[in-house]
Amino acid sequence: MGNIFDWVDSRFGVRKPHSKFLERRIPENLNYSYCLGGMAFTYFLILAVTGLLLSIYYVPSEKEAYRSIVMITNEVMLGWLIRGLHKWSATLFIIFIMLHTIRVFVSKAYRPPKELNWMVGVLTFVVVMASGFTGYLLPWDQKAYWATEVGTSMIQTVPFIGDYLVYAVRGGTEVNGATLIRFYSFHILYLPITISLLLWAHFHIVKKQGISKWL
Amino acid sequence: MKKEKNFYPDYLSEIIVAMLVSIEILIILALLYYPSIGRQIDFTKQFQPRPEWYFLWLFEMIGYFPGNSAFIGTVVIPVVYVLLFLLIPYIDRGKNGGLKAIIVGIFLLLTFIVLTLISVL
Amino acid sequence: MERRAFLKRLINFSFSILVLITGSVLVYIYPSKMKERKLHYVYLIDEDELPKRGVRKMEFKYKSEDIAMINRAYLVISDNSMNAFSPVCTHLGCFVNWDNNKMEFICPCHGGKYNQKGEVTAGPPSRPLTKLPLKVMDGKVYLGIKI
Repeated sequence: MGNIFDWVDSRFGVRKPHSKFLERRIPENLNYSYCLGGMAFTYFLILAVTGLLLSIYYVPSEKEAYRSIVMITNEVMLGWLIRGLHKWSATLFIIFIMLHTIRVFVSKAYRPPKELNWMVGVLTFVVVMASGFTGYLLPWDQKAYWATEVGTSMIQTVPFIGDYLVYAVRGGTEVNGATLIRFYSFHILYLPITISLLLWAHFHIVKKQGISKWL
Repeated sequence: MKKEKNFYPDYLSEIIVAMLVSIEILIILALLYYPSIGRQIDFTKQFQPRPEWYFLWLFEMIGYFPGNSAFIGTVVIPVVYVLLFLLIPYIDRGKNGGLKAIIVGIFLLLTFIVLTLISVL
Repeated sequence: MERRAFLKRLINFSFSILVLITGSVLVYIYPSKMKERKLHYVYLIDEDELPKRGVRKMEFKYKSEDIAMINRAYLVISDNSMNAFSPVCTHLGCFVNWDNNKMEFICPCHGGKYNQKGEVTAGPPSRPLTKLPLKVMDGKVYLGIKI
C-alpha cells in the first residue's frame, strides 16, 4: 500500500500540495459534538454512492417508475439494501445537519468572521430539503404522488404568477410523467451538483478560518 | 496555554472513527427497517397524503390559513423562516444581540418541533 | 481606444451575453404549451341504475396520451337535480372523500369540508368543489372531463 502511494505521490503530487492542509493545527480540546458535521457529510457521500447504484435500475417514466422500484426491491440482488441505505442516509443526513446546526448555534460559531459560512450552511440545508422533496416523488406510488400534488399546489397559491410557476415546476398542468422526469433530473443532477459546490465552499471556509473553539 | 494537535494523523483518525460510527448507525437502521413498496397510484381509493417527516411542520401549518390567506402559510412563512435562519449572524449584532439570536433560534426550533408533534399525534 | 477600457467593454459585453443565455435557459425550462385539452364525455352509468337520492362515488375509465386511467367523481342526486363534483379539494389538490354519516365531503389533508352542494362548510378551502358537466343520452349518463 505504502509503496503504491509513494509511486503515485512522486508522479501526481499528493503529499506536498496538501501539506498545509494535512499539517494544520487543530485545537486540542474539542468535544464530540464537533463530529456532527463530518457525520452528516459521510451520509452525503453514501447518498451519492447508493444513488449512483440505484440509477442503474431505476426508470424515470410514468409507466415504468413504479415497476422498476418493485424490481429493485424484490428482484435485484441486494437491491432492497441499497434502497434502504439510500432512504436511511437521507433521513440521517437531515437529522445530522440539524444537530450540527444546533451545535454551531449553541457554540456561537456563526459570529464574525464566520457569517458567510453559516449562510452557506443554511443554503445547503435548504437545497438538501429540496432534494428530499424531489426524491420523494421518484417511487411514483400513492404517497409520492399525493405529497407532490400538495407540495406543488402550494406554489400555486402565490398571487398573480402562481399558475405560471406551478406549470413550470410540474412541466404541465398536473403532476404527471413530465413532472417525474423534471424531479428526477433535479434530484440526480442539478441539486447534487449544487450541494457539492456549497459543501466545497463550506469546507474551504472552515479550512481558511480554522475551527472555532467553544465559547 | 493553547493546546493544539496536528490534523494528520491525530484529527484525521478521529474523523475516520466518526465516519465508521455513522456508517454503522446507518447499516443497523437499514437492516432493521428496510423500505416497503408503496401502493400503486390509484385515484379511486381513499388516501391520506403525508409528506416526509421533515416537511410535516409545513404541512401542518398550512391548515391554519384558510381561504385566500393560504398564501401566507404556503409561501410567506416558509420564506420568512428561511430568511430568519439565514440572517442569524446579523440578528446577533449590537446590544443584546446574543439574546435576540437565542430567541430567534429557539423560536425556529420550537415551531418545527411543536408543529411536527401536532401532526404526528 | 485604451486597452483597459477595451477590456472593460469586453467584460460588460460578456455579461450581457450571460444574461441572454440565462434568459434562454429559463425559456427552455418553461414547458411549451401543450395541446389544448378538450372536453370529452365518458360513460358513467345507466340511468336506471341511479339511486333516487344521495351521493354516490363513481369510477370511470379514460385514456390520457395512451395511458389508461381510472378516476373518480361524485354524483349528488336529489329529488329534481343531479350534479357531478370533481373530488379535487380546492385547497391543495387532495381528493376529498364522502362521509355518509356526517353527510359531507371531507378532505384528508387539512380537514376541509363541503356539503352536498359542494359549498365549503369548514376548513381552509376558499372555493366550492368544481362541478363537472353531465349529459344524459339514450338512458346513459356521461360525464364531461377535460383530457
